[in-house]
Amino acid sequence: MANYKIEALTFTYPGGSAPALKELSFDVNEGEFLLVIGRSGCGKSTLLRHLKTVLSPHGERSGSVLFCEKTLSDIPEREQASRIGFVFQHPDDQIVTDKVWHELAFGLESLGVDQKVMRLRVAEMASYFGIEELFERDVAELSGGQKQLLNLASVMALGPDVLILDEPTSQLDPIAAFDFLSTVKRLNSELGITVILSEHRLEEAMPFADRVIVMEDGRITVCDTPKKAAAELYLSHSPMFGAMPTAAKIGCALGMTDPVPLTVNEGRKALMELGLSESLIPSGKAALRECGPAVEADGLFFRYEKDGADVLKGLSLKLFPGEIYGLVGGNGAGKSTLLSVISGVSIPYRGRLYIGGARKKAAFGAFEERVALLHQDPRTLFSADTVRADLEKAAKSRGTDRADERIAEAVALMDIADLLDRHPYDLSGGEQQRAAIAKVLLTEPKVLLLDEPTKGMDASIKAVFGRKLLELKKAGIAILLVSHDIEFCAEYADRAGFMFDGSIASENTTREFFCENTFYTTAANRIARDVFKNALLTEEVIRLAGKRE
Amino acid sequence: MRRDAFYSVHPAVNLAFFLFVMLITAFVLHPAVTGISLVAACIYAFYLKGRKALKFFLIFVLPVIVFVAALNPVFNHAGTTVLFYFKNGNAVTREAVLYGIVSACMFAALIMWCVCLSSVMTSDKYVCLFGKAIPTLSLVFSMVLRFVPRLFSRIKLCSQAQKSVAPSFGKNPVKAVRHGLSVLSATVTWALESAVNISDSMKSRGYGLPGRTSYSIYRFDRRDAVMGILMAVCFALSAAAMATKHIWFRFYPSVKYSGTDAFSVIGYAAFLILCMLPVILNVKENAEWRIIRSRL
Repeated sequence: MANYKIEALTFTYPGGSAPALKELSFDVNEGEFLLVIGRSGCGKSTLLRHLKTVLSPHGERSGSVLFCEKTLSDIPEREQASRIGFVFQHPDDQIVTDKVWHELAFGLESLGVDQKVMRLRVAEMASYFGIEELFERDVAELSGGQKQLLNLASVMALGPDVLILDEPTSQLDPIAAFDFLSTVKRLNSELGITVILSEHRLEEAMPFADRVIVMEDGRITVCDTPKKAAAELYLSHSPMFGAMPTAAKIGCALGMTDPVPLTVNEGRKALMELGLSESLIPSGKAALRECGPAVEADGLFFRYEKDGADVLKGLSLKLFPGEIYGLVGGNGAGKSTLLSVISGVSIPYRGRLYIGGARKKAAFGAFEERVALLHQDPRTLFSADTVRADLEKAAKSRGTDRADERIAEAVALMDIADLLDRHPYDLSGGEQQRAAIAKVLLTEPKVLLLDEPTKGMDASIKAVFGRKLLELKKAGIAILLVSHDIEFCAEYADRAGFMFDGSIASENTTREFFCENTFYTTAANRIARDVFKNALLTEEVIRLAGKRE
Repeated sequence: MRRDAFYSVHPAVNLAFFLFVMLITAFVLHPAVTGISLVAACIYAFYLKGRKALKFFLIFVLPVIVFVAALNPVFNHAGTTVLFYFKNGNAVTREAVLYGIVSACMFAALIMWCVCLSSVMTSDKYVCLFGKAIPTLSLVFSMVLRFVPRLFSRIKLCSQAQKSVAPSFGKNPVKAVRHGLSVLSATVTWALESAVNISDSMKSRGYGLPGRTSYSIYRFDRRDAVMGILMAVCFALSAAAMATKHIWFRFYPSVKYSGTDAFSVIGYAAFLILCMLPVILNVKENAEWRIIRSRL
């Protein structure tokens, strides 16, 4: 029996020139784990929202959506509320109440469930999801991963048959994201709940799925098992293939299209079967430093409260002009604190900090020192109705000389000319990040501090963003990139460091740094390290393997 | 704050306790009754908050007592027993002095009970009590408690983020206002966006369907019932003794009070037990804990 049967669904937003969904037809079987993928703006969210009536957008619609053989819109709201669970993208924007227990009970309260049943359901959910110790806490104290688990638990409390998740891990760090996806998989395999998931993190999500739907421009182009879908995308030269797991990319490039390896483990085995001989990538010589560091931190100590624990413990770091430094490390290692110290917001109580060679003692205006910090959420920067107005306002506050010229430069560098008349909130994550950097560039920074810039970006947007960073680097700006995104750091950083417990535990040029790690390294390196010890990127592995054949 | 056994009792019992005690304290002006109430309130407050409560009592409450007690005889000259005369000929009477002291103690007792009330009756307990009657009220209350701190932290975040891309305004008020407006604009846009998302999340979980109920993490168990009945009996006995003038005190025109008989003794005892109930409960549970531990 199929849970959903979608037939020739076409949908156009009011005022939209082209339909957002075009003639979609597919079934979702009971107990299936269905993965919906596609680039940002391809219509994934629009499609998922059509699977629950209260969330369906307004617009012109044709075709039909059947749920358990009945037209979805004929099924009463009460039944849909409990049978179809929906988890959204932003962990914070879904939580309604202030206490964890109240949030778990929220849906049950809406349905008018009595106290005794509520008690049971809430208790069951809290223990199944392992959040008992959080039960009486304030929601504000939870981490992003815990918040998203709470959202999942409070939807599951209603006892749904189908769980729909719209990019649920895009705001989470990789470890929390993997935990979350594993929990979803567990619900699917232990309770037989049908899962419909849209996701950017295909490295983790692809192996979990029974079937993958690939959407391009409002159409379904591929609908098959993960392995076959990867092969189809490869053979049709689809741009979506760039988002596939590393193992699939390496496997396909080396001619393994049946079956395509998906996990690191499968990739390793496939590579071993080829019987390649070991080889190394010649290490490039260290860049000569013509000038002194743009930022130098020497034994910094910092804590937030007088009696609190030290967040930075003797941290030393040098950042040179024209380089990208990738800083990785777990949550709570002090990465964001370091950025706020370098940007002059927080003052270290011991140690020395030099910006452009001059020692900084007290709090300093980051703007005057031309250090720019870009917060994880670029929306904190936007304060006008269009990107253009926002940039003009920023340029004006800086002084009016050459304002237009400088805006034109920043716009060209970040390639946002076609976004200028849009509202900043209507842009995708990657576009927002670029618009925010353009605004920051108006201050002509010498040092750019980026906090998790690739959060929520899909693979193709990430590639565009990475190229822009290289251009900034070429312009002589020192970039400190704090990120959980190891693949991104490995591809674009010159040097990398691992931050642990308030100081930098290890630091090296990017290639040497990642090759020394066993866990904190790229998937390509984990796949190929037996034969190509220092290959970091997918392309490098493919190139080395291709040469031998 | 140390663990308080009375805190873990059902909110309805908590609220009833404070209602009973504060009602009698406020309406029965009687040296013994007021004294019992004040002493009990102080003991419980010290138990709950330790030195902080003592400091509060010495710095704030004690001066209030002295002030009110001293002020009454200065302005009130009723009463028949004259102690002495002011230079302007106004009499200071024994009744006015006594009335001043007792009413000051009454105020102090109410203040100290409020100290206890604020640490025992937390916001979620009111939500639990009134949520049953008006389910939406408890939800709105909870949403406000979530939204307000979020809003302030967002304002701080936007302000910090924008400071790093704009010249610091130093002491220039025009620039400071401009910065403030820009932060406000960023925050408002964020809040509107967030509200749209939250309303989706609420609709998706069935918000707005008729017949909403309210979940409560508190359970009314046997201990709550025993406490409730004990409190009600004590209140009834002492109130009866007061209503029937077995416990009775008159200040003006001359001091006159009821004698001691069996009923009044029962009334005093009942009121004493009522006021000391939270402390008794704590002592009892602590003792039980120690006995259990010592048997291990």
